[in-house]
Order: sequence, then C-alpha cells, then structure tokens
Amino acid sequence: MGIAAERAAAAGRGASARRRKAAGDANLAGYLFISPWLIGFLLLTLWPIAQSFYLSFTEYSLLSDPAWTGTDNYAKIFAEDATFAKSLSVTFLFVLFSVPLKLFFSLLVAMALNRNMRGMNLYRTAVYFPSLIGGSIAVAALWRNMFGLDGYVNQVLAWFGIQGVGWISNPDTSLGTLILLNTWQFGSTMVIFLAGLKQIPQELYESAAVDGAGSVRKFVRITLPMLSPVMFFNLVLGVIGSFQTFTSAFIITKGGPVNSTYMYAMFLYEKAFKHYQMGYASALAWVLLVIVALLTVVNFAASRYWVFYESDGGKTR
Amino acid sequence: MGKRKSQGAVLTLLASVLLLAACGGNSESGGDGQSGTDTGKGTDSGGAKTLGMMWWGPDARHEATKKALEIYTQQHSNVKFKPEFMAWDAYWQKLPTLAASKSIPDVLQMDAAYIQEYVTRGQLEDLSDIDLNGIVDPNVVENSKIGGKLYGIPLSQNAQGIAFNKEELAQYGIPLPKQNWTYDEFFQWARDARAKLPEGKYPIGDSTTWDGFNFYQTSMGKSPVMADGGKTFNLDKDLFMKFYNTYEDFRKAKIVPPAEKAAAFLENDPKADPMASGVVMTRGATTGSVSALEQLMPGKVGVVNMPIGPSGGGWAQSTIFLSVSANSKNKDEAKKFVRWFVSDKDAGEALGLTRGIPINPDIYKALEPSMQPQDKLGKEIYDLSVEKALPFYSAAAGYSEWVDTYKKEMDAVTFGQQSIEDAYAKIDKMGKELAAKAGGK
Repeated sequence: MGIAAERAAAAGRGASARRRKAAGDANLAGYLFISPWLIGFLLLTLWPIAQSFYLSFTEYSLLSDPAWTGTDNYAKIFAEDATFAKSLSVTFLFVLFSVPLKLFFSLLVAMALNRNMRGMNLYRTAVYFPSLIGGSIAVAALWRNMFGLDGYVNQVLAWFGIQGVGWISNPDTSLGTLILLNTWQFGSTMVIFLAGLKQIPQELYESAAVDGAGSVRKFVRITLPMLSPVMFFNLVLGVIGSFQTFTSAFIITKGGPVNSTYMYAMFLYEKAFKHYQMGYASALAWVLLVIVALLTVVNFAASRYWVFYESDGGKTR
Repeated sequence: MGKRKSQGAVLTLLASVLLLAACGGNSESGGDGQSGTDTGKGTDSGGAKTLGMMWWGPDARHEATKKALEIYTQQHSNVKFKPEFMAWDAYWQKLPTLAASKSIPDVLQMDAAYIQEYVTRGQLEDLSDIDLNGIVDPNVVENSKIGGKLYGIPLSQNAQGIAFNKEELAQYGIPLPKQNWTYDEFFQWARDARAKLPEGKYPIGDSTTWDGFNFYQTSMGKSPVMADGGKTFNLDKDLFMKFYNTYEDFRKAKIVPPAEKAAAFLENDPKADPMASGVVMTRGATTGSVSALEQLMPGKVGVVNMPIGPSGGGWAQSTIFLSVSANSKNKDEAKKFVRWFVSDKDAGEALGLTRGIPINPDIYKALEPSMQPQDKLGKEIYDLSVEKALPFYSAAAGYSEWVDTYKKEMDAVTFGQQSIEDAYAKIDKMGKELAAKAGGK
C-alpha cells in the first residue's frame, strides 16, 4: 500500500479521477495478494483472541452457553485463588533460573563451535541435531525415563555408591529437572548466537591482539558488546517462551508432586480442558499476556543500559 | 538517522514480540477445539448411512469393537461406520468440545461417572423405547434410569475389588485376604504382613484420593461425600481424621511406601505398576481392569472384595453404557445398532470380555467355556463383591476440580508438608462452597 500511496501522492494535487482509480486497483491487488495471510490472521488469530477476551468475563463450561459474570473471574484470580499464586511463583522461579542458564550454556556452545577447525560443520550439525526433535513429547518422555526413581541417572549414580532420589517424584528436585531440560534444549538459541558471533568483524580482534589484549579481555570488551543485540533478542524470546512452558510439565510431572511443577500454562490448560472453566481459563490467559507484556517492556527499558548498537556510533543509549 | 532507524527497528520488534506472545497463548487454549469439527455428520444419501461411534479403552477393546462393526456392516450393507477410539483421559477431554459444537458422534460410550452431567445438559437421547426384554435384567435397566428415563444401555457388569500378589504372599507365609474382610481386619492384615515382608516391599498402597475415603465413610454407615447431584456435601471429620491418621502411622511403620515412591507409580506400566513391579503386595482393581494386571504378572494375581464396614463396602453394577447423541441425524439407525450391540451372538463373540462381563446372560454363557484366566478374575471380583456391595458413587457434576484438590492436599500430607487437619479444612471448605453453588442453581 505504501508504494501505491506514494505514487499517487507524487502525481500531484491535480491527479485525475482515473489515476485515483488506478491507485485503488493497485491497492486492491495488493490486498488480494496478502489476503491468504490476512484472512488467516483475522479468522484464526484475531477473532479467537477477541472471543477469549469476551469469554474472560463469563462463566462458560462448554456444555452450556456462556453466562456474563463481569469481572468476577479476575477478582477471584487475584483475591482468592491460592493455586494462581502458587503456579505463578513456580513459573517465575522457572524463568529466573532457566533463561540465564540457557543463555549462558548456548553462548558457551556457540563459542566452542565458532572456530576454524576441520570438520567443524559436522560438529555443528551433530550438536544442533537433537534440537530437531526439540520440545517434543518424545524428549519429555525420555527425560521421565532418565530422572525416574529407577532412571538412568540413578543407575549411573549407583555405580558410585550414591542412592539417588526420585528426581521427578520429589517436590524438592522436580522443578530442577524441568529447568535442566529447558537448558538442554539450547539448539535454536545457540544457532542465533553462532550467527551473531560470525558477524563480529575479525579485524577488531586482530587490532586488540596487536595492542596486547588477552582472550578474557577480548571476550569482555569485544565479543560481549558486539553480541549484545543478539543476546537481547534471545533474552526476550527466552522469557516469553519460558512463561509458556507446558509440554515438559504436562508429560513429565503432570504438574506434581504437590504442585511443585504446576506451571502457569499447565494450570490454564487444566482449568480449560479438565475442569471446563473456559471463562476462568480465558481470564488467566489474559493475565498471562499482561504479565509477559509488562516484562517485555521492562526488558526493552533495561536494554538501553547494556545493549550496544553499532549504528549508534559506539554508545549504549 | 542511524538512531531513528534502530528505534524504529526496536518498536517493530516490540510489536511483533507482543504478537508472538499472543499467538502462543492462544494456540495453547484453542488447539483442541478444531479436532472435533468433522465428526458425527452422518451422510444421508438414499438408504446408505454412516454412523459415527466413539469409545475409550485399551487396544484389545479397540480391535474387538472394530471387528463387531464390520460384522454389523456385513449384516446391514447400508450402514457404514466412522469409528473413533482413544484412551480414557483423551476421551473425556474431547467430548466436551464435541458437545459444545453439537457434533457428538451418533453412538458413544458413556460412563457412570459422567452420564448424569451429559443428561443434564441435554446431550443424550432417551432410549427408554428400546426393547431390552430378555437381553438386560429389568432390575438393572431400572437402576440405570435417570429421572425415570434410560439414557444409556448398560453393557457389562463391573465391580470394585482388591488384587493381591498371591504368589509372594504365600512365599512369605502371609495369609491371603478373605472375602468380606472388615476395614479393621484389612488394617490389621497390613500390620501383620509388614512383619513378614522384606525391606523394600510393602503390604498395601497409600490412600490419597477421594474415592478411597468415600468407600470408608459409606461403609461405616454415613452418607456419601457428595449426594443429591452435588447439592449435599458431607465429609465426616471424625472418620477422616481416624482414616488418615491410620495411614500416617502406616507411613512411619513402612506399611505403605514412602510418598516419593508412590508418586512414581503408574498403573499397568510393566516397570512402574505398584504391584507388577513387585513393590506393593495389593492394589485396587475392577472387573474391567484386572485383566491388564493379570497379563503383566500371569498366574500371580488373586482377588478379594473391598473391605467392608457395618453397611457393606465396594460396588458391583454396570458402569459402562452405550448412548445415542441427542443431535444425531440417524437416531433410529443408531438405536437399532445399540440394541444389536448387546443382543447379537456374533457381536458378543467378537467383543468377548473387552468391556467386562457382558450384561446379556445368554452371551455370557456362550463365552464362559472359552474364558481366559484374566477374564475369570474379573468375574471373581464381581461374584465376591455383589453380596455386600454399596451403590457406585461418582463425583458430582462440577466437582472435577475438587477431586484434583483432594488428591493434591492429601499428597501434601504424605510428603509431610501439611497436617491432616489443615488438609481437611481446605477440602471441606471447597466442597461446601461447591455444594452451596449447586444448591443455588
């Protein structure tokens, strides 16, 4: 539309009706071209979002029609629902640990893979390969077998005479196993880091080396600042993704034992599809959206103090 | 210029990020709904009909039912089927979405625990006019009615009992449980068995679910926890404290497995089943489910009825039904099929005991000579239970969350995170609120 509009404007004030019609046709063609996406977005994304907003003010059990209850759902979430507070704190704990761990670990792997070595492409493929099955149910099932009471982890520990706990069935360790799983699923984050590392001009390192900088100094003074936009991108997506963690909690622990891994998305899911409280679940979804949006705004606000853009001429904004 | 450009980029990123978050949240809550749209539309082209049928169960039931459907199509060439089958959990997750979109298949399996809810919502067709003379015992038909009308044809006899590892109990010199044991005898049996079992093995499992306590409360002559369609709620505090204090002592004395171990159990999993793994000597089993256990540990399973109190104990009745959707376009054909399902000899042979003991005595007699050991166990549970059986109590409509809460609060007790008294207070409060809400409608 932009180009068509500019062209119409460039034709000057005296543009004839015919020309305007031509511009309109061009607009129409443009809309037609994007219509598959547009229709899909309107019907499958925007409309359900609007619907869920409406449902969040109702009581709706699927079997009977939605009944308007005003802000009751929201009032109940904040005033009475102890499970809401519990699942939110579990989720915050999960995000707090898993996001930094994942960033750290994937950067480490990316740096290791960012060397010129024979057969490096093979290593890169091998390291990235498990990510193809990524956050799938198969991996979650594998995790359950590894960390179960008689799982592989405890079998290995037994060789050293250590009696392991039931990592998944113990409320003190269950969340830890899920954080570990999330950290292990570093593939896509790592690839983005790797691409970022490749973008850093080699001459920066060379001139630093001439000035006698060691590898730690090079990392702190060159790699980290040059990588900060990529880091920021990974951080924002990581926070959003972690807040929506569902598969691992659903498959591995079912939110238990005793709610110790009752993630927010899991709580929402059970409200909707186990207890059929669609209205309440919709309200929970909107609360989650607001929380994630707020955190994202905070992230963007904080970024001006640590993210470095080359285009700004070397200053953090 | 550079600054403006990067600010623009940041704004775009922010916008797209928020959009991403919205999409993610939405696809999570909406994902299940779309799967049901293509079901239950019986095509009506001339005489040819397609009946949708949906059921839950294990693989053996799926195969047997598909075979029965083929037989029906052979006998009635104008009727074809669109079968859908899944496991219990998936079934009850899917059905509400189908109900919401009025696309429940023509014929569907129903359970005693849910049928009331679906009848209340007007989702099931009245089947009272189907002639079941000589097929189903008139008393059973009468007992299956809801508000004087029949909404589901009972398929089988079912009962709740306890399975035990007869081989290992004999090995350690522990007497086998006897029919009509009382709760006191049951608890004493567990204490005595503890003394004879080696470390790492336990006589009985822990109890953290509402139905375990409901059995106890009703057997002691009290009313069930939920009555009157959920309008009455009665959790007897004295019995509650006595029951769970007993289990608290049992945990300390290692008569029941520690909570961490119990949380890892998964019934009917070859490695994680409490009994098949050799860790616990007993566990609950029903007529319909005991065969799966027997197959995991052939020849080792014995059965007994639930412990009883002054009023009796356990239950023995039909819990699986075949219903017809109120929105079906082929109601007459569906009703004809449902009657055939419980009366046809060939169907009976194909279905075997995959839904428990067939409700039709003629079909059961025809199957009896060729019954496998695992099927005999199911029949044994039923025969042992029927004398002292109490009614089958299901959670009332709208109580599913309370059922979950009950287990979570009691789990917290077994992990030593809260006292029995605190758990009682929370469970009781939530139950009373639900009852008040159900009564207000």
